[in-house]
Amino acid sequence: MDDLPLQKIAISGSALASLIQRFSSSSGDVDGLLFGHLSQPTPSNLLEDDLPEPASTRSDSSTLVGNVTGFVCSGTVSSFYDSAGRLNEPALRRFVADRARPDQSQSLLGWFVGRRRTALRPSLREFNVSSSLSNETLNPQIEDSVKIPPCVFILLSTPLIAQSIHTHDHRAFQFRRSSGVFEPKSMDVVNIGPGFRVHYGAFSPNSPLPWLPCVVRDSSSMEIEEEKRRDSLTARRAALKEQKGLDLYAEGFDVGRLGRLMGSEAANYTSELESLYEKMLVKLEGLARNVEKSSARVLEQEQRNMRLRSKFTGFG
Amino acid sequence: MAVVADGTLPPLIAAQLNHLLSHSPLSFKVDQIWSGCKSAHFSDRFTLLVPFCLDYVKWDVVYNALCPWAAPDVIFAAEDEGFYPFFVAANGQSGKSCLEDWNCKDPARLMLLVHELRDLYKSYQMKRVGELDDERLKFEISTVLSREGIEVCMVSGSERLEEVKFSVPLLDMNLNKLVHGCPWKHQQMIYLQVVFPISRKYSSASSPRIKLVSSSELKSLLSVEDVKLPTWLDGMCMAEYLPAVEDILKAQIVEAIAAIGARRRFIEALASQFGRPLEADSVFCRKATVLAASGVFTFLVHISLSTQFPKQQPVLVLQSSQHFNSQGTPVLSPPLMDYPWSPRWEASQMVERIYEFLAEECLSFKKYCNDSLFQQ
Repeated sequence: MDDLPLQKIAISGSALASLIQRFSSSSGDVDGLLFGHLSQPTPSNLLEDDLPEPASTRSDSSTLVGNVTGFVCSGTVSSFYDSAGRLNEPALRRFVADRARPDQSQSLLGWFVGRRRTALRPSLREFNVSSSLSNETLNPQIEDSVKIPPCVFILLSTPLIAQSIHTHDHRAFQFRRSSGVFEPKSMDVVNIGPGFRVHYGAFSPNSPLPWLPCVVRDSSSMEIEEEKRRDSLTARRAALKEQKGLDLYAEGFDVGRLGRLMGSEAANYTSELESLYEKMLVKLEGLARNVEKSSARVLEQEQRNMRLRSKFTGFG
Repeated sequence: MAVVADGTLPPLIAAQLNHLLSHSPLSFKVDQIWSGCKSAHFSDRFTLLVPFCLDYVKWDVVYNALCPWAAPDVIFAAEDEGFYPFFVAANGQSGKSCLEDWNCKDPARLMLLVHELRDLYKSYQMKRVGELDDERLKFEISTVLSREGIEVCMVSGSERLEEVKFSVPLLDMNLNKLVHGCPWKHQQMIYLQVVFPISRKYSSASSPRIKLVSSSELKSLLSVEDVKLPTWLDGMCMAEYLPAVEDILKAQIVEAIAAIGARRRFIEALASQFGRPLEADSVFCRKATVLAASGVFTFLVHISLSTQFPKQQPVLVLQSSQHFNSQGTPVLSPPLMDYPWSPRWEASQMVERIYEFLAEECLSFKKYCNDSLFQQ
């Protein structure tokens, strides 16, 4: 992995918003890992006789962009490192295993810290953690692509004096392993601002489509037939179970009945449609009530934790 | 010295901070204490003023009130961007620091950490100055670096010009031991502060700015601002200059210690005319208060002696025991320092002359007191 300079760091508006939300809803300081990918957008004003240069020779005029597309927030600090800034490898691997994908659409890009009412510059420990992290080789190794160590660091803070309009600050850095310094990088928020259309030039979706089993009805293929025979019983049982679940949700509106909602007969079935919606609403209300109850219990548990913590620290 | 006034810091953190403030041989200060929690009743961060090179550097110490057993983090000043101690090397091995096995139950931990960081900061500044392209500074550093306790740092002077400040401890003597019954908690030192402008050419190098610095506590013995420093000649270096300054200072200190004796004799002589003083500074003998009366009018005489005594005569302030102003405080006379005086008199004669002067002066002071009562 090369210690290539980044031109800037880009983050999607929703990722940044949810990052800030996680930080501002936590009771104390938080940290976590940043995931994403690197991209090298082609400059739009390319001249035809421009010769392609190898990436390594372009150190100053780098066009490499670190795209932050997701994060894991630990909800606390020192979640994957100790007080001296050394990594806790098992914890780090656990975090990464959940997120990193082998297709490199989401690899470990760096980490972040949110600490309220502090100066917007990296601290002693943050320097050491970044330094340890930039020596990591956790990302899946893929040939023929640009790779950098997880060197991005985003620092979130709030102003020292509480203000009503200006409530959050953030700053992005790249830790350069070779020189051992933090280089401040500009942070582009994708989807926001007048120039947002340009961002879609290099757009690639990062949520993969769900795997859909495609069964060839023709059944001429011997392979499929054989497989079918072998798994038929278990498969049928599973399908039956799924169908039962689906029926429960359909409230008696099977596909045949729904089919009548279309075409010339449709006008007669408005009342049926209405009753379907009504049942859906009842169901939603039930769900909302469940969420409310579980939220109350989460809150209760959090308060209990807080009390225990206070007791431990001598405040109780 | 600032002490944590309110109990807003969790006990584990407060114990460490108080230990630092009361046990460190260096005088740390706390600028501000605040909270980084959503519910602000736990405070967990503070700005520490770290004494360095005759000034203070501000470090933010960031604890976490939600887990006060964890080691703190430190954010250094904005101008010290390049200062990152305990650098974790590529093989994961870092220099042994007390952060590695933090024990929250040990109140001395924060002090150990801060001392460790301050030592590293000292070497960091030394390295920065050593890397400057200035022949004179290179020479100065190589010649005076062997002195114990020397500190250097970069300072940004006026018009964004960078300067280099040296703090050189002078005189290898224990000032605390020279003063009988010394009340000083910290070891007293006198430093020479030398500020060099950075210049590339040796020939065009201008003279540095020189100043003697001591703690405010030392002022009761000797005021270093009053010491006349020898002139810095063109082409001089610190190694030449320092012995001259030290010789002058040594003489001044001997004189200052002797002056305590002269003041003590004066205060002891007060008893013959005024009776035993009500109050007297028994260590530096800079202050004494006696009771005097003229008929039924009784008043206190506050006598202040400067470090220049007997060259400078004592300053007298009279305080009535019978007249009070509208706020209920006793009426005071303006400072009196214009009365017959000769530094060559014996202590007993000095006291006699003051007694005679006050016999006259008390009448006008009584009138002054009565007038101030009428004005109310």
